[in-house]
Amino acid sequence: MRHKKAGPSGTVDAPLETKSQRTAVRDAIPSVVGGRLRTYDPAADNVGAFLRLLGERITRPLAVSLTACVHCGLCAESCHYFLARPDDPTMTPVYKADQIRRVFKRHLDWTGRVVPWWVHAGSPRSDEDLNRLKNIVFGTCSACRRCTLNCPMGVDTGLLVRFTRGLLTELGIVPEGVFNVSRDEWETGNQMAVTEEEYLETLQWMKEEVQAELDRPDVDIPVDRADCNVLYTINPREIKFDPRSIANAAKVFHVAGETWTLPKWGWDQTNFGLYSGDDKLGGYVARNVYEAAERLRAKRIVISECGHGYRSTRWEGYNWAGYDQKLPTESVVVTLMRYLQEGRIRVDPSRNPEPVTFHDSCNIARSGDLVEEPRWILGRVCADFREMHPNRRENFCCTGGGGLLSMAEYRPLRLEVAKVKAEQLRATGAKLVCTMCHNCIDGLTDVIKHYRLDMKVVQVLDLVAKALVIS
Amino acid sequence: MSATLKFLENEVQIAALLFMAVVYAVRLVWILRFEFRRERTFPAGSEAAGIGFSLMNVAMPWAMESTRKRPWFYLQFVIFHLGVAAAITATFIIPYKPALLETKPVALAFQTMMGAAFLVGLMRLVRRLREPALRLISTADDYLSLALMILFFAAGVLAVPNRYRTAEWTLILFFGLTAFFLVYVPFSKICHYLYYPFTRYFLGKTLGHRGALPPGKTAADRPLPEGSGTRRPR
Repeated sequence: MRHKKAGPSGTVDAPLETKSQRTAVRDAIPSVVGGRLRTYDPAADNVGAFLRLLGERITRPLAVSLTACVHCGLCAESCHYFLARPDDPTMTPVYKADQIRRVFKRHLDWTGRVVPWWVHAGSPRSDEDLNRLKNIVFGTCSACRRCTLNCPMGVDTGLLVRFTRGLLTELGIVPEGVFNVSRDEWETGNQMAVTEEEYLETLQWMKEEVQAELDRPDVDIPVDRADCNVLYTINPREIKFDPRSIANAAKVFHVAGETWTLPKWGWDQTNFGLYSGDDKLGGYVARNVYEAAERLRAKRIVISECGHGYRSTRWEGYNWAGYDQKLPTESVVVTLMRYLQEGRIRVDPSRNPEPVTFHDSCNIARSGDLVEEPRWILGRVCADFREMHPNRRENFCCTGGGGLLSMAEYRPLRLEVAKVKAEQLRATGAKLVCTMCHNCIDGLTDVIKHYRLDMKVVQVLDLVAKALVIS
Repeated sequence: MSATLKFLENEVQIAALLFMAVVYAVRLVWILRFEFRRERTFPAGSEAAGIGFSLMNVAMPWAMESTRKRPWFYLQFVIFHLGVAAAITATFIIPYKPALLETKPVALAFQTMMGAAFLVGLMRLVRRLREPALRLISTADDYLSLALMILFFAAGVLAVPNRYRTAEWTLILFFGLTAFFLVYVPFSKICHYLYYPFTRYFLGKTLGHRGALPPGKTAADRPLPEGSGTRRPR
């Protein structure tokens, strides 16, 4: 087995790359000119701005998570970074959270303001310190929240990491990949800069595919149709790399007799604001979806299989956007379960004979509510379902969470710590690992390739579509 | 009983307690001044159930992998905190209900709890010094707080027999430490119990609202056919 080592502690020291930022400034793109997308200015007082933002943005849940930690260290063994690198004390969640906690203590808490050395309180002194903080919160944590659920005090380290990312994003001190994806979301309304033409063409192509497959010319993939039951929102990855998942959804909706539509604008349910900590971006992208549903008078928003997309659109987005939820908003997995329960679709599990295991997406299982629903479905569409251990809310991250797939500079460390996931996958003996997250597909595919596992990644919808009995 | 001990057991303790109460009150106001944003989504679970589960987490070692896999660590936690409870109770019993401690089994029970906590405290100190990951994050406050607790337990074991005629120094040490604690605690990590209800409340509220806590809900519990997230806000 080949293992590319990430190097000893302290080598996650990627410099701040600003080439894309400079190009965006030079081209005067609207999001930069309008001040929505922030770029790095080496001449600015970035430390001062960081401290000002810290004081302005701390909420009550953050404040108590910053003050309550007792340094018991119990979180360490819940983190796949520490489990994979037990000799590296900088990999513990508490160490990572302490990097923002020390600044909070120095500037806002009591003891740290008077006797900082007593409680390890301190302040960033330069942009290099902020870049170091960037490498810790973006590069050594996938914000999976496993430590949060294992903290006896209830300290939400995942929340602290996202908060810190948000402060750095406001200063443009972010990995280049994060900047690029954020730029695309601001500029095009979706994170892969899919054009409207490409979007519509792909949908047309998939419509023709399903019509041919089912020999039913009445199958449709409607766009911007008003008064439907379902407004279906997708991940741009489905347009770019995996359009079959849209075809599968179309097939199931057709068989179930659903009235559904995709919106022409506001179709991207993914949200890089969750990863970058930028609530403004998060609110903008989520609002696009909510307003599309309102404009088309849809009765329900259905989110295709995506972990962070589900968390963002179902839970966080309404709060970021300051938009009171008006419509039921659910994962397509819940929709599929309803169809099965109501007898609107029928399935034959013998069509999926290979051993299948299920990987719980962190954003859905730990920060959301769907744990048993995918299992309920898999129990009906697969002949041989096997649990992975640990599972459900204790599952390990695919290692591509927290936006890490877009940050090439942290890839060696990500793949090194993925050995925890690789061992978990291998132990199942399954040939297929099912997940309800597009991000996890890429994360798991990387792990499978790197650790040479004999497995393929699929989604719940893939297995349902394969098992679908069409009369 | 000397006038010094009497003064230490009464006036000094009351003054220190009042000081702690005032600082805690200010601390609570400080926490409450941070913004709290209201939830805008439909619930998929019960906030009350989530908060209840989260707050009771301390008594459910099976609920977290971190404690489930390390039962000895959890037992240490229980012993240590029982010792804390015993020591605090002793600071009230000795001056105000000394007759209780004249019953030997009662005094012995207090001494056993504090003695066991003393040993656990020493083990925790060794762990903190030995493990590199803990050493890296440990502050002077972490070390002093733990060392003071160890000393406090030892002093408690010696003070509980309440032998003010023959060994007054044990009581002076115990009550001197108590007074110091009451003043120091609000500024140290020892006051984590003040934050525990808050952190647990917020986590339980958020994840209870989403149906992630309490865990163990089955798919059959879902309000289908409407599906998740279809209920109106309460």
